[in-house]
Amino acid sequence: MRGIKYSKDYEFDLDVTPNFERLRKAVQHEEPDRVPLCEVLVEYPIQSQFLGCEVSDSKLELQVEFWAKAGYDFIPITVGMMNPGKVTQESAISKVIRNVMLKHSAEVDDEKSWSLEYRSFIKDRADFESFPWDAAAQLDFSKFVEIKDVLPEGMKVIAVSGKIFTMTWMLMGFNNFAMSLIIEEKLVADIFQKVAEIQFGALEKILEMPHVGAVWVVDDLAFGTGPMISPQALRDHVFPWYREMANRCHKKGLFFFMHSDGNLMPLMDDLIDLGVDALHPIDPTCMDILKVKEMYGNRICLIGNVPNELLRSGKPAQVEATVKHLIQKLAPGGGYCVGSGNSVPAWAKFENYMALREAALKYGRYPIDF
Amino acid sequence: MTNDYLKKIKDAVVKGRHNEIEDLVREAVKCGINVDTIINEALIAAMDVVGHMFGQGQIYVPEMLVSAMTMKKGLEVIKPLLKGKETKPKGTILMGTVKGDLHDIGKNLVIMMLEGAGFSVIDLGVDLDVEKVVEEVERIKPDVLGLSALLTTTMPEMKKVIDALEAKGLRDTVKVMVGGAPVDAKFAEKIGADGYGKDAAEAVQLAKKFTERV
Repeated sequence: MRGIKYSKDYEFDLDVTPNFERLRKAVQHEEPDRVPLCEVLVEYPIQSQFLGCEVSDSKLELQVEFWAKAGYDFIPITVGMMNPGKVTQESAISKVIRNVMLKHSAEVDDEKSWSLEYRSFIKDRADFESFPWDAAAQLDFSKFVEIKDVLPEGMKVIAVSGKIFTMTWMLMGFNNFAMSLIIEEKLVADIFQKVAEIQFGALEKILEMPHVGAVWVVDDLAFGTGPMISPQALRDHVFPWYREMANRCHKKGLFFFMHSDGNLMPLMDDLIDLGVDALHPIDPTCMDILKVKEMYGNRICLIGNVPNELLRSGKPAQVEATVKHLIQKLAPGGGYCVGSGNSVPAWAKFENYMALREAALKYGRYPIDF
Repeated sequence: MTNDYLKKIKDAVVKGRHNEIEDLVREAVKCGINVDTIINEALIAAMDVVGHMFGQGQIYVPEMLVSAMTMKKGLEVIKPLLKGKETKPKGTILMGTVKGDLHDIGKNLVIMMLEGAGFSVIDLGVDLDVEKVVEEVERIKPDVLGLSALLTTTMPEMKKVIDALEAKGLRDTVKVMVGGAPVDAKFAEKIGADGYGKDAAEAVQLAKKFTERV
């Protein structure tokens, strides 16, 4: 295998051939051959170090090679207006803002003028009406088509989508969004609907693709202290959309995964009830995964929880010990996949990422017995 | 009767009745209730209740922000009456998000709550150079400096600010409080900060503690 760098001297005899059935079994609380590895995002510099050559957004074949050889049973591909992580130049919504809204503006090349990290665009009803929604709805599915020819047998795509909540508040600016939720609720509801309709448009296309095995919604709903808005407001405005998404996925035999940072304990019953099959990352900065397993583990698969701070500043032995502990406590009987506490960013130490991967392969073989 | 008016004003702020507050405050003023009393025992006192409710998880950010807006609207009615005898702010606070970090939701919430509690707050913005922060501390001479970070990679910037204040001989002139998702009390202590607030309500309590006049 080209360029594979291991942090240990021994070779694994474990098979890392992708097999989506492995993930399916784990999610359905059965025991496959080993505990699956699962991430919604591994940034390109980490992928590049793993393969020993540059992986970038345009190099789909290399991305597939990374996800397959690193031990994952799927490759996550984003479809929708915003990529997970930062709102970058590559995000569809950023392109719409730059190429449509700021087309003739002198500021168009200034990141502070087009990035939703710095600026919001919908203050009021007039801004909502004039926002280029039609342009925003032009989503790019080319990767989903292109990947069919390079996907190994047994491997599937997980379509990363969602952002209904995040996109709405980012477009409005958080304080404006929060106050409008109470003072001008209809405006906020209308924006939620517009964003959701665009994301649903993507879903309809994805659900017809046999090589897609799941939809993974990425939408941060909570701070470390709890939900960003009241659970009732989420039930009124956000969860109905995700319930419908989950229903449509399940009707087509696809899983529905969710990623949200923050303390989700007040929302767990809602998330399970709306149809989330697996939840990531069980934010280790504010959630006790053992408690979550005890209370909800038989109703939802858990993914992740290896702290990002550990990946950044810890030692490989510490990462190994953490993964081993998580497997021991959470994996028997299925219902757990090894992963980070958010994503694997470029600033994670590569040796720590490899320690995570290797510990999952070394300790994750069923039956779990150590 | 004074208590009735104060209670109505306080309730209006706590419940976010932003359409009623101006009339309520005008009525109270018309009835001769001292404006300082209205500010301290109704408007600011209400924000104490709001902060407590938020800290207890009884209300969430939208409700808290609408309460803060309601309080400000009430204050705007009183401000013209204070000409020449403005109530002194409880203290001056500089707030900012550290270098390399663009996140400001938490910082902005803290700012609104601090203003609601009667502090004068200057927002330095996000992605702040250490030198800029030190410059502003030297120029403005705040009582408290509040630093926010959301990324583990930007947390070390907080220590750099504290060290730079030390190097400039300014450390003892200002209390430093820190906050943000990856930050905790242990980290705050390790870097030599004076306090850590897990949310906006705690940040306000810290600011009050730091500015208590003996």
